[in-house]
Amino acid sequence: MENKDTKEKLLREFAPQLEKTSSVTLVWILFLLGVIGWGVYAFVAQVTKGHIVTGMRDNVVWGIYIVNFIFFMGMSYSGAIISGTLQLFRTEWRKPIIRMAEYLAIISLLIGPGYILLCIGRLDRLYYLALFGRIQSPITWDVIAISTDIFGCLIFLYLSILRDIASLRDFSELKIPAWRKKVYSVLALGYTGTPEQEKRLRRATDIMATMVIAIAIIVYSVLAWIFSVTLQPGWHSTIFGPYFVIAAVYSGTGVLIIAMWVFRKVYRLDQYITRKHFVAMGVLMVVLAALFGYFTFSDYLTKWYGSEKNDESLIRILFTEYYWPFIFSNYIGVLIPLLVVGIPKLRTITNITLSALVVIVALWFNRYLIVIPTLESPYLPIQDSRPEWTNYSGTWVEFALMAAGVALFCLLFTLASKFVPVMNVSEMSEGPKAEPSELFKAEESLL
Amino acid sequence: MRTQDKFRIIFSFLLCLCNLVPSAQNKKDSVTGITPAITFSYLNSNDTIILTANIFDKKETGVFAIKNAVIEFSASGDNETRNLGQAKADEEGNAIIKLPVASGLPQDKDGKTTYFAKFSGKGKYQPAMGTFSAKFARITVNFSKEDSLSFILVTATQIDHKGVVNPIQKEKVVVYVPRLFNLLKIGEIDLDMAGTGKVEYPGRLVGDSLGNIMVIARIEENDTYGNVQGQSSISWGIPKQYYLAEKPTRELWTPIAPIWMIVTLIIMLTGVWAHYIYAVIQLVKIKQISKRKPE
Repeated sequence: MENKDTKEKLLREFAPQLEKTSSVTLVWILFLLGVIGWGVYAFVAQVTKGHIVTGMRDNVVWGIYIVNFIFFMGMSYSGAIISGTLQLFRTEWRKPIIRMAEYLAIISLLIGPGYILLCIGRLDRLYYLALFGRIQSPITWDVIAISTDIFGCLIFLYLSILRDIASLRDFSELKIPAWRKKVYSVLALGYTGTPEQEKRLRRATDIMATMVIAIAIIVYSVLAWIFSVTLQPGWHSTIFGPYFVIAAVYSGTGVLIIAMWVFRKVYRLDQYITRKHFVAMGVLMVVLAALFGYFTFSDYLTKWYGSEKNDESLIRILFTEYYWPFIFSNYIGVLIPLLVVGIPKLRTITNITLSALVVIVALWFNRYLIVIPTLESPYLPIQDSRPEWTNYSGTWVEFALMAAGVALFCLLFTLASKFVPVMNVSEMSEGPKAEPSELFKAEESLL
Repeated sequence: MRTQDKFRIIFSFLLCLCNLVPSAQNKKDSVTGITPAITFSYLNSNDTIILTANIFDKKETGVFAIKNAVIEFSASGDNETRNLGQAKADEEGNAIIKLPVASGLPQDKDGKTTYFAKFSGKGKYQPAMGTFSAKFARITVNFSKEDSLSFILVTATQIDHKGVVNPIQKEKVVVYVPRLFNLLKIGEIDLDMAGTGKVEYPGRLVGDSLGNIMVIARIEENDTYGNVQGQSSISWGIPKQYYLAEKPTRELWTPIAPIWMIVTLIIMLTGVWAHYIYAVIQLVKIKQISKRKPE
């Protein structure tokens, strides 16, 4: 049960975040808008001049856009899996960080698919996908999966913030404009925390938590299958589905740690987000690092030992032209978190955050190395292929749109934290022993 | 002078030298112009002569095709030089001209025709020329069956300036069949004194839907005849069976997805959306509960 006094105390503490926007935050928002504007300018250049302004050509038809798509989608699925799991298992330390994982899930999911649209040469024919879409095509699977996932994550987020919205509606000390009060009032659906309302809300939240975990795994596997069902060297792999899921959760854990660090600093949440939370997330990151390292090694070892002509050519390219990105993404990106979290003396908040940063960059390069070198060593020769078509390097347009995506991600995160507190106030005001999940209750009754 | 200053002077000198060398080279280019190179190839295929002149600029950094360069082709014999026409080089620097043999070309007393590809120069590019001499020859391809074996018969002849047909003796002919990306070599023939030779047809080669297969016989890069090609078609190939899916699969032309895929998709989407609807119903009920009057 919620403790009313604790909740009011927490709301009082979080109220300034919702009421005021400091000049620093304002500058930050303007900076992000500037970067987004740069992206819009690049987008206009791409639309007016065509894809020739990008580095993509006949051989390398996918570039930074698809890398960013995989990266953002990975973060989203990671947010969904982490928040869903923490919700289901009623993990005590989840309370201050679960909201960030939920935001991560939905915000990344809104940005990621945008990069696919940037890859499409004829955007004016996009609706053909709905009119003439074929279920046999993995691209159609992805469209269905992502749209289903967006709905699922939105419902899950709404269920998760409903109690806080109701609390904000009822919190009389909150000095916000009347229209915002009205918005809270409409969105709260008349929730007052009666036992029946609470029971229904918990049941719906638990079911959606289960759903978002399942959907995240399926949807990211579908994304992996888009690559692995082809015969391209480096992509045609049976372990790509689980490999992508593990890589996604791994990178998302890194982003979540960074988000925890940023909000802890900006909103001075030191007493809520403590070293304990960073270590818990760090341990999760270590487990995922080990799994990611295992999958990576397994994938490349079998390719190398098989000595298939095209696989050999790909591995040669990875160890020559892409030597440092390959070492960074697959060695340093795995070893750093293992060392930082594994050695107790190094296990500080700053070190865990820095290792999370390394993980994020390493995982971005991992996706780059999955996409680009394979396309640079095509399985089938293309007639009239020119050297400049078989080598890819991103252009300013692609980097501008990449920066715009990151800026939009930060902007939406910032705005979301101004609408509902970044921590789950209602759950934090509950006692340490929360109600067990509906699923576990059912299990207990069966036993 | 301090050692550090000495190093600074030497370093500056080397830096200037590095800057000067390429600029001197550029200056030289702009004053004297660039002399392009022309490589000339000749193919006599089924009584059509195909002349290809490739024009390019060879630099230290690589070979660069000179596109849109106009190449004038001509042929000469002992008594006559005839203009054959002109062609513009494409993106790869190839200017191609095709001549029917019936047009009759000037020859010298040995029956050889000398071909010229001439570039008159344009802008920074200096004039350039390529030449090639070849005797006109002809290859005919025929087929025969002896017992259970199939043979490809090749006859190669040359025509002198008086129009007398003579056999091409002791030359090598390579036999190919065209495949998707390239020519597949199926045998080699050493011509006898009558200018003929044969090679066994290997069988098990896929032709078109009717089993027709093209056989090409070539004398390649010969000093006297250049490249000479003859070709003929025969229905010895295995008829190509265009794959028609018995059941709908993943091909682009199938109108409907496999049943297992449709069933899986329906089950998954129904399962997921049923849970979504259940969650939304719970939200509706939460709203309804709030409207109830307290008892």
